[in-house]
Amino acid sequence: MFCCSYILLSDRWRCTLPFIVSSDIVKMAAAVTSRLTAAVCRQFQRVVTVSSHTQSQYAAQASSKFHSCQRRRMYDSWWFRSALNDRALHTSCVRKGLEDFFDLPENWGEQTVKSGAPWTAKQLRVKSNEDLHKLWYVFLKEKNMLLTLEQEAKRQRLPMPSPERLKKVERSIMRLDTVVKEREDSLRLLQTGQERGRPGEWRRNVFGKTFWYRFREHPIPWYLNSRYKRRRFFEPSHVAPYTRLSLEKYLRSKIRKETRENRNQKRLAAMFPKKTALASDH
Amino acid sequence: TSRTLIEIYPLYQLGNPQLRIFRPTFNLTLVRPGKEQPPDTVQFRIPLEMTKFDVRNYLEKIYSVPVAAVRTRIQYCTNKKRNHLNQRVKRPDYKVAYVQLAQQQTFQFPDIFPEKDRKHEEGSVEEMQEKFMEDERQRQKPDPRRGGVTEWFGL
Repeated sequence: MFCCSYILLSDRWRCTLPFIVSSDIVKMAAAVTSRLTAAVCRQFQRVVTVSSHTQSQYAAQASSKFHSCQRRRMYDSWWFRSALNDRALHTSCVRKGLEDFFDLPENWGEQTVKSGAPWTAKQLRVKSNEDLHKLWYVFLKEKNMLLTLEQEAKRQRLPMPSPERLKKVERSIMRLDTVVKEREDSLRLLQTGQERGRPGEWRRNVFGKTFWYRFREHPIPWYLNSRYKRRRFFEPSHVAPYTRLSLEKYLRSKIRKETRENRNQKRLAAMFPKKTALASDH
Repeated sequence: TSRTLIEIYPLYQLGNPQLRIFRPTFNLTLVRPGKEQPPDTVQFRIPLEMTKFDVRNYLEKIYSVPVAAVRTRIQYCTNKKRNHLNQRVKRPDYKVAYVQLAQQQTFQFPDIFPEKDRKHEEGSVEEMQEKFMEDERQRQKPDPRRGGVTEWFGL
């Protein structure tokens, strides 16, 4: 649905499978700048303010900052990880793609590395599907880089510089996933009217509790599936009385909570009557 | 937060189209090898659910790294350690992938924490601390006139 390209996941019984990820993704389109990885000029970038600018403005700013950085320092063509440059990510070098598992060489050995705020769901909703797809890979690579750094720091028994970056990336990933799920849900509702992607139904388990059972795919029907038949989806007759009792317990606790709240309010009203409050105003 | 993006893949039967994943949730961690590895070998920690073919595709497509061979093993981590409540605490297992690069490329794990001369700004707390530590070290040094002899002995 949202694919300009996709990854083929191998299945355990079959080998093969090339991915067909277009080179755009690997090159990380110039239009998309992640708040974190476009801290290309991490050392020069000020703290990014969130959502006071539109995305295009920010991109323009970031790109201008990047180009000024480029002019400022001796740019090492062997290493750069920018979304903003049209040149290929990798020039000829021995460790071609594995540089992306590490930070910029200027940041090696620093105590803190500056990074901006994570993406919010509101900002992500503005993006197109292709942009979100590319952003996903940007986040993925950034997370891999941070995990590598974390592991190496543990190995060397040194503190990891700026560990909050990991949390930021994780949150950005979750929010991106939320946005994509929202879009998928709305599309499915419009096209088919189905509320859920994965079918299911309400069932009662052995303990008498009603729960939403989500279907799984099986190659054989349920009456041939011995393991499924052992999992009983009905309550035995000796369990039936306890369902009513647990329901009563739940209702009782709810009522008790409400009465406790009302009593508390009455007590407070008695302590602080409204007449004196109004009188003190005058 | 642990894995909230739960994935259940559709069932595969003969003749089905190849499964495609649009947004992979797998994270690869490049690690420094514990034992000496050949120069073309790169060591990764990968999630337990990943296979050799997944690793190959992942590296080739996302990182454009030419991969010649991948070998994996699962590292079982201890369940023996106990916490302050005497409960057994499991250290999570992980899978290790040894990836051999194609096209006669080599990889040496770089030194990511080099010693850098940090110059603190004037009047900052770090600078004062550094000065203090330097003074302390100077005071603790033995008398150079004794020529390396310890101060245990008299005179």
